[in-house]
Amino acid sequence: MTTAVARNRRRVRPARVAATAIALLLALIWAFPVYWMLNSSLLPNTVLTGTAPRFLPFGGSLDNFAAIFRAGTFWPALAMSVAITLVTVVFCLLFAFLAALAISRFRFKGRASFVLAVLFIQMLPAEGLFIAQYKLMSSLNLLNSVLGVAILYVAAVVPFTIWMLRGFVAGVPIELEEAAMVDGLSRTQAFFRITFPLLAPGLVASGVYAFLQAWNEFTVALVILQAQDYQTLPLWLRTYVQASATRETDWGQVMAASTLVAVPVIVFFLIVQGRLTSGLVAGSVKG
Amino acid sequence: MKKTMAAVTLLTASALALSACASGPTTSTSASASAAASAEPQNITLWLAGGDTPDALRDYLKTTYQAKTGGTLTIEEQAWGDLVTKLTTALPDANNTPDVVEVGNTQSPTFTNVGAFSDVSDVYGELGGDKLLQSFVEVGKVDGKNYTLPYYFGSRYMFYRKDIYKDAGVAVPKTLTEFNTAVKTIAGKNPKGVKDFSGFFIGGQDWRNGISWIFANGGVLAKQQNGQWTSTLADPNSVKGLTQLQDIFTNASKAPKTAKDESPWLYINNSDVIKDDASDPTKVTGKTSLAAATIMAPGWAHWSIGDLVKKDGKETRQWNDDTFGVFALPGDDGKPAPVFAGGSNIGISAKSKNQAGSRELMKIIFSAEYQQMLGKNGLGPANSDYMSTLGDDLFAKALIESASNSKLTPAAPGWATVEASGKLEEFFAKVAAGGDVAALAAEYDALLTPMLNGK
Amino acid sequence: MTTVVASRDAGALTPARTRRMSPAPYLLLVPAILVLLLALGYPLVWQFVTSTQKFGLAQQFGKPPEFVGLANYTRLFTDPQTWAVVGRSIAFCLVNAAITVVLGVAVALLMNAVGAVARLILQVSMLLAWAMPVIASMTVWIWVFDWRRGIVNWALTRLGLDFTNHNWLEQPLSFYFVATVIVVWMSVPFVAFSVYAGLTQISEEVLEAAALDGATARQRFFAIILPMIRPVLMIVALLQVIWDLRVFAQIKMLQDAGAPVASTDLLGTYIYRLGVGSSDFAVASALSIFVLLLTVALSFFYVMHLMKEDR
Repeated sequence: MTTAVARNRRRVRPARVAATAIALLLALIWAFPVYWMLNSSLLPNTVLTGTAPRFLPFGGSLDNFAAIFRAGTFWPALAMSVAITLVTVVFCLLFAFLAALAISRFRFKGRASFVLAVLFIQMLPAEGLFIAQYKLMSSLNLLNSVLGVAILYVAAVVPFTIWMLRGFVAGVPIELEEAAMVDGLSRTQAFFRITFPLLAPGLVASGVYAFLQAWNEFTVALVILQAQDYQTLPLWLRTYVQASATRETDWGQVMAASTLVAVPVIVFFLIVQGRLTSGLVAGSVKG
Repeated sequence: MKKTMAAVTLLTASALALSACASGPTTSTSASASAAASAEPQNITLWLAGGDTPDALRDYLKTTYQAKTGGTLTIEEQAWGDLVTKLTTALPDANNTPDVVEVGNTQSPTFTNVGAFSDVSDVYGELGGDKLLQSFVEVGKVDGKNYTLPYYFGSRYMFYRKDIYKDAGVAVPKTLTEFNTAVKTIAGKNPKGVKDFSGFFIGGQDWRNGISWIFANGGVLAKQQNGQWTSTLADPNSVKGLTQLQDIFTNASKAPKTAKDESPWLYINNSDVIKDDASDPTKVTGKTSLAAATIMAPGWAHWSIGDLVKKDGKETRQWNDDTFGVFALPGDDGKPAPVFAGGSNIGISAKSKNQAGSRELMKIIFSAEYQQMLGKNGLGPANSDYMSTLGDDLFAKALIESASNSKLTPAAPGWATVEASGKLEEFFAKVAAGGDVAALAAEYDALLTPMLNGK
Repeated sequence: MTTVVASRDAGALTPARTRRMSPAPYLLLVPAILVLLLALGYPLVWQFVTSTQKFGLAQQFGKPPEFVGLANYTRLFTDPQTWAVVGRSIAFCLVNAAITVVLGVAVALLMNAVGAVARLILQVSMLLAWAMPVIASMTVWIWVFDWRRGIVNWALTRLGLDFTNHNWLEQPLSFYFVATVIVVWMSVPFVAFSVYAGLTQISEEVLEAAALDGATARQRFFAIILPMIRPVLMIVALLQVIWDLRVFAQIKMLQDAGAPVASTDLLGTYIYRLGVGSSDFAVASALSIFVLLLTVALSFFYVMHLMKEDR
């Protein structure tokens, strides 16, 4: 591929220039709301409720952020979200991986039914289930707990993750492991040394999806986490958006709060971005 | 095989570890105290809605409860928008229900009618009896028994631009008829030449403000007869009020037909942060956000109305008595027009295991000290004896005046369904768009009546 | 350069091996099945049972529910409002899925065609959009289209078209236009990344050879590229259909911002309105089950096709 690219580079095709221009335009359009959120988070509410939009935060300050941190509720919410999301991602990947192994590497009775069931379960709307899920968690005494919420989240993302990982696992031929075993490694060693590294990008890709689902989920968290000390970030953000009976919504603070909710996700993303692309590469065409 | 076993063990171990260290406190775990013989102090939980009750009052409740009963009071704040969802799941659950709960006054009938709250008729007199705001007491009653009682009330009144009224040659109206004419005149004259200027800004779907016209003409939203509720939008009085409203929508308000009652103060301020016209507020440059001469809003909106000034380096709104004024919407009978009263009720969860402790808290809430604290903080106290603590600035006066004749939505079991269905918004939007009021009213009565009676 | 591994039977084992290893797959499935049963078992059963009862707030508070068989379903489906919502939802989902996939493929092709720097910029921007929490992005978008303070109106007016105070959410069609813009904006990154990954697998040599043979860009796309990314495309398209059919948060927040509810409800908000709004959990359950069946029906042939390929 290097030679082809080098050849292309030497003649600057107008097509390439046009493509670059379009790409940059699209990048601008897609990033615009993110920029707007950041811009607004630095401005006071009185400016934001005016009719003239202010594109650059002149006269802006970090006051909104200061007010939010003063309120003191961000860090506990962050901790809760991180705890729940990590537990969800770890167990979702673990369970989905085992299941993906089963359906890709083995032929067994009920395999097709299981795969179908997994696919169809994702099609059930979640909006109607929260009452029953509350009763379930209440009877198990798991309200206001990381575990209670995590169980529900894992069940919600496991089906798609199984599907995604299935493709990745199928893409690693079992012959590779067998070759290693011929060379003297045990099955487990062969698995961890040969197969697993090839699956890593796939696990990363699935992990990111599970992360996003758990991080932004709202209704289940609302109902299971009753105590104020046990809020997740989406619930915390909601309290800023609600106007109360004695004051109006402070949009500057809402945007600042939104930025705080989005930042960990974006940081997480950028860290795994390299792995993500190669992960999607490896799994998608086979999937 | 080994891998699976390892995984399972790891899973079980971590699950156990997590549940041990991560599960939160179970609320209301008084093991032994029965309602009757509660020598033992009970630890209770109070759910407050939104941020309305200031911290100082919350601390007062906690310390006083501790001092009086020896038990601990935990206060949890719930967001308004999701309160109904949380109450639906939490109230029926005896192990996890909050003990005392604040509910919106329009939400109260939904829950009292299904037995979510305990009967507090026995302490009704002690808590204030007939001195409590009666319209709120009504929505908390079922079959003559009290279940929820008023917590605090708010009200809505008119904010207006003195300068524009003066330029248009219009005086502050003293009756509803005068009001209806005044705002049309102002819209027609448009003294500042602003595009799409409203004499009175009211959104097409804004029924909370719009129903004042129904009430003011003697109409109601629904009537109860023999235990059955009927929607009464098509009653002659209601139609009269709606027709007046339609006239306003057409001739005095340039608000979008789908606008609701959010942030109306935006339209009455000279918003702009552009320096060049801040020095000359009478000059319209097209960048100002001024779009209305009058708006109707809850009392606390006054914090968001005024001139844009810099205080301590921060931009805030400062009320300017020369430019802005308030008045309670007048009725045609010499009294203020009945407006939709905001506010909350409060009650004890029927499934709570701490009935005695909960009652103690109610007594503290309805005590003179607490009621006065509510008033001093701008929240209308439930007990009319303490109304004066609201103060006597122009906002307090307008609040008290407009609240004196205020009305609520019907105490029907299905009212929450009506609100959730969006049918009222739809109806008002169609009226605002100029449809046949009587025909629309009859059509929507037919839709709303079955909803009102619940299932 | 890696060749496309089309072999799906990479995991096929000889019969002898299968017999010896037979308990293994079942054991591997145990954790996933357990968590699914635990978290969804009871709720699913509850939902089926409730949909055949009269279940409102009173029942939630202890009144015993009455069995009414299929009455809830009948009520739902004799209401023209339900069919209007279903029709709109299907239309909305198909339009959105189509636009998203087409745009996503276009963006992926762009990513492949530009230099490293431009590609990085484009990818990071897509990533930022994808990562932004829905509540945050919805708040921004509602602002952008606000009738009074929105920059869309401001910009259009600046350009000469008079859009001051134009309310984008007032008319259903305009409402859906805004909703589509938002949903597409949120969904394209996922499609773009997935398809791009597939594109990088296609060998440059093959494309170069085709170009030398005189194939136009269009022919190269349809004859070489498209067939190679077909597996990715199919999965991604299916997911878009499933997700777009159930879209909830975006529609709900747009409605709250000031739109006529009855003519803009889609399945997600309709279920919510019945459930949380009017506490009619039985009808909401019935509708949820219907949506499940509808989604299965919409994707049925496609899923069967996927399963066949799998064999």
